[in-house]
Amino acid sequence: MVYQPPAGARDLLPLDVAQKCWIEERLQQVFDRWGYHRIITSTLERLDTLMAGGAIQRSAVIQLQDAQEELGLRPELTASIARTAVTRMAGSTYPQRLYYHANVFSRTKGSSLNRQQEFYQSGIELLGSSGFLADAEVLLVLAECLNQLGLSDWCLVLGEAGIARSLLSTFPEAIQDQVRQAIAHLDRVTIDTLPLSPELQERARIMLDLRGRPTDVLQQVGSLELDFPQKEALNHLKSLILLLDEYYSVSASKSTAKFPLILDLSLLQTIDYYTGIVFEVVSNTNMQPQILGRGGRYDQLLELYHPQRVKIPGIGFMLNIEDLHQVLLANNQLPQAIPANNWLVVPQTPQAYAAAFSYAEKLRNSVHLVRVEIDLGGRDPLEIREYARRRCIQQIAWIKTTGSPIIEPVTAEHVAPYIDI
Amino acid sequence: MITVALPKGALLIDSIRLLQTVGLDFSTFLDSSNRLLQIYDPSHTAKALLVRAQDVPVYVEYGQAQLGIVGYDVLREKKPQVAHLVDLQFGRCRLSIAVKNTSPYRSVLELPPHGRVASKFVYCAREYFNSLDLPVEVVPLYGSVELGPITGMSEAIVDLVSTGRTLRDNGLIEIETLFESTARLIAHPLSYRLNTGNLSNLVEQVRSSSLSVV
Repeated sequence: MVYQPPAGARDLLPLDVAQKCWIEERLQQVFDRWGYHRIITSTLERLDTLMAGGAIQRSAVIQLQDAQEELGLRPELTASIARTAVTRMAGSTYPQRLYYHANVFSRTKGSSLNRQQEFYQSGIELLGSSGFLADAEVLLVLAECLNQLGLSDWCLVLGEAGIARSLLSTFPEAIQDQVRQAIAHLDRVTIDTLPLSPELQERARIMLDLRGRPTDVLQQVGSLELDFPQKEALNHLKSLILLLDEYYSVSASKSTAKFPLILDLSLLQTIDYYTGIVFEVVSNTNMQPQILGRGGRYDQLLELYHPQRVKIPGIGFMLNIEDLHQVLLANNQLPQAIPANNWLVVPQTPQAYAAAFSYAEKLRNSVHLVRVEIDLGGRDPLEIREYARRRCIQQIAWIKTTGSPIIEPVTAEHVAPYIDI
Repeated sequence: MITVALPKGALLIDSIRLLQTVGLDFSTFLDSSNRLLQIYDPSHTAKALLVRAQDVPVYVEYGQAQLGIVGYDVLREKKPQVAHLVDLQFGRCRLSIAVKNTSPYRSVLELPPHGRVASKFVYCAREYFNSLDLPVEVVPLYGSVELGPITGMSEAIVDLVSTGRTLRDNGLIEIETLFESTARLIAHPLSYRLNTGNLSNLVEQVRSSSLSVV
């Protein structure tokens, strides 16, 4: 019989891994430079931990059979990081800057056949700071990640959950949720048919299309009737956008003069998870927009995990490695092959085995990475040369019984620095 | 360039007529000698895909088409993640339950528990009978659903009715309407948010054009 992977699972072969590492290393360099530290949390979590924030449905979690407690495979990292930040790391000082590279799991309901169930994500969480300076830091880290990866055609769709929620609060309570669902899903047809006064219907329509250039949108929102907290949230958002623009105008290294931003106040979640800015990063190559990652501010999440219910603000984002991979692959930016080995060390007689290992060790002990493989026998010199040529190995060291090497450059018709396998 | 997914069948003529009013001409699809499934507007400002009605929301959900025209019935059945932008008011029909006119059933609740209902609209039918707490077996069919009760395979059908003639000719009568349906303009949500290719402008043109027709 043939043993198959479970539906929706996937193995990463050496080239896939090389490409995934290429992406993760670049992200990690950015995270390190901004002073973030890597955290590794458990793949397995208790179901109540995963669902505490309200954004995760039981049905979306792959659950595990266990007699004692209900366990699931994490569908995202923020819950786990929040849990550990307020418990085991409780003594540490704030702000905490954490990042992760991790696999996550999600169960897809419905009709899709063989949909992927395991994904890789990288992201950061900045805990313990509210205010637009922290928001700006997170957005700039995100922008730098994308620049490091060589992605140019991207933009950030930025919403503000607090403003959107308070704009919603003017609707009659009985249909508030319907209005919210309709706006979140861009369902204009439903808005047009809801039993609302003409003024409220107009307000709902404006909210559904409250997006575009930040200056235009801010002006539009300013024309709506706002109460004091809404005005404050709006000023906070203005300051953030102003700061991003100012930074981009003074920073010589930026390829664009402006932070690529679409302000979208209809970008609201159907659940109250985010409390401040909320955003999606979108790649927009060839009219095929694709979400690469998302994030937002969650100032009420950590207290849910805190033993004394202490309020600690937080903000973060995650990037989907598979989606980045797909976009970068189309741009030909990823390694196209796994690196070839530099040396093939061939013991010519059984007496030369130890000498071959020792010579290989000497070759490996170099400042730079030298890849050395040992010939494991069973082939004649012609076959060995053919093998070395095919694997694009640069040099062969023939080890004689005496231990002395004869070095032979591989004279391939087509030596390439990389091999195809 | 904006791509529009258009449904084969009943909605095609009205869809093409509507797009003509906003300056996009895809009438090649109406030419019986045409076999192309993807065509450009003569001004090369937009592209259209000709697909089965059920597949319109699929192309739109995955973003291969930024816009699509499809009946509300398909959206109710498939629940795709697309933006419902305009009720285009044409292609009016209703999803109804019908039985043989010689049968004793004159309302849904008279249908026998664990009876059979044949339909192309499996999810809509199941959802409806669940909401009534009436346990019936929904038999999926792909066409000529009327044969279900005629041959005795099922007690009833759930199917789209526009004029009601097919039902009448086949000796069936409607006993209940699940919902009314019209054609809808749908959009890929992310493209709509990004306003790819000035999508919102086109959507507004279609909206005002469809309102002026009514």
